[in-house]
Amino acid sequence: MHIKVLRCESCGTLDPGPRDLCAACQSDKLVLSEAPGAGALVSWTTIRRAPTRFKGQAPYVVAVVKLDAGLIITGRFSGTEENLRLDLPVEAVSEDEGAYTFAEKAS
Amino acid sequence: MRQVLIAGIGSTPFGRHSEIAIQSLAIRAADAAIRESGIDRKQVGALYLGNFVSGPLTGQEVLAGLVADGLGLGQIPCTKVEGACASGGIAFRHAYLAVASGMCDAALAVGVEKMTHADTATTTAALNCAMDNRSDGISGLTFPGLFGLAWQIHAERYGTSRDQVSAVVSKNKANGLLNPLAQMGANVGADQILQSPLICDPLRLYDCCPTSDGAAALLLVAADKRAELASSPVAVMASAQTRGSARIAGHPDLCTFDATVMAAQAAYAQAGISAKDVDFVELHDCFSIAEIIDTEDLGIVPRGHGGGYALEGRTRVGGDIPVNPSGGLLSKGHPVGATGLGQIYESVLQLRGQHPNQVRDAAIGLTHNLGGTGVACTVNILKRIDA
Ligand SMILES: [Zn+2]
Repeated sequence: MHIKVLRCESCGTLDPGPRDLCAACQSDKLVLSEAPGAGALVSWTTIRRAPTRFKGQAPYVVAVVKLDAGLIITGRFSGTEENLRLDLPVEAVSEDEGAYTFAEKAS
Repeated sequence: MRQVLIAGIGSTPFGRHSEIAIQSLAIRAADAAIRESGIDRKQVGALYLGNFVSGPLTGQEVLAGLVADGLGLGQIPCTKVEGACASGGIAFRHAYLAVASGMCDAALAVGVEKMTHADTATTTAALNCAMDNRSDGISGLTFPGLFGLAWQIHAERYGTSRDQVSAVVSKNKANGLLNPLAQMGANVGADQILQSPLICDPLRLYDCCPTSDGAAALLLVAADKRAELASSPVAVMASAQTRGSARIAGHPDLCTFDATVMAAQAAYAQAGISAKDVDFVELHDCFSIAEIIDTEDLGIVPRGHGGGYALEGRTRVGGDIPVNPSGGLLSKGHPVGATGLGQIYESVLQLRGQHPNQVRDAAIGLTHNLGGTGVACTVNILKRIDA
């Protein structure tokens, strides 16, 4: 699935948002756009002691993903961390209140 | 800029202070610092107070003015500063600038936090105020989680092992046993650490600093006040502060904090020294893996070798470069707003030759305080005055 991002109309930079001014050129012309949800795993951890609002979901895997489009997203990984490795190809599979969940990319 | 001296130091023990109000903790530490210096308190021209979450956790704000009032200071500018876990270091730098710039001849830096009375959910929610809650927060990430992410990469990239990280925990816990201000010094071995529960893989309970109450304070004066001092002063060679990314997406590499790298470079340049001239370091080991990353970011250990240095005992007192002889955050405790000033308190004792875990012939010490997801950092370099 695609990921909602902000795109700067002045310089084209993509940002996961929320952001008021473009991080590259400080333009305020940021428009809602989409980027392909495919990328590579940067790192991960299994959260076993969760903040109150996520307590019922623990343990869960938080994943940092570098999208092929160039930007970095903090989201979830679906399932356990057993077979994870750096640079594992992943793709976004679902979204919940702005947070994306990734899974190993089907080859 | 004028030369600045640390003329007086004060600190409560770090740990649990259930019966003492937050402003009383700060006043105890600050009053001790003023008395030790021999400076008349009416000469103090500014107060900077480092605190992170007194509002949500104790229902008390305007702490800077409250503390000055309790201390009997004049009607001087009193300012609370906040930069998450770096709040204390930032308060110190502002007090340093007030004196160095000539704005006043004496300034007080106080740091305080009171956290142990709150339940875990309230404390976690308050601490999570230090991340960008519109981006990283929505994934369910926590602060230990951030360091779990960093550890994973460090392990894969440099081969950093569980035993190497455990060596940091064992060292700091043992150092804390020698420090009367430390909250939880202990003798813990690698097996015991490995048996403690996972918090966020690969971090276990022993890899995390405790929740703490406490206060620390420093009185800074212009060097021309030296003849009036009752204590043995220490010189401030450098005080640097930088900003890093406020969110994970802004960190090109999670295995290093660019705010630390830049603050260290700025501090070395200001002091006119290099990393190899430093005799000991008090750094921000909020989690065990953080000490390994920080030693590399500060340039005191080659990149990727932080784990090896720890396991080989090179960061122990008596090693090549002693790190956290006080016990660090892991063992001394982490009353957030007080931590950065507590590091300087410990360093002044080292440079006076009076520390309970003394580094032999310590002449130059470095302190490092890091806040949030690396969004704020301070690095100070201090020198024994005859050195
Ligand atoms: Zn732009």
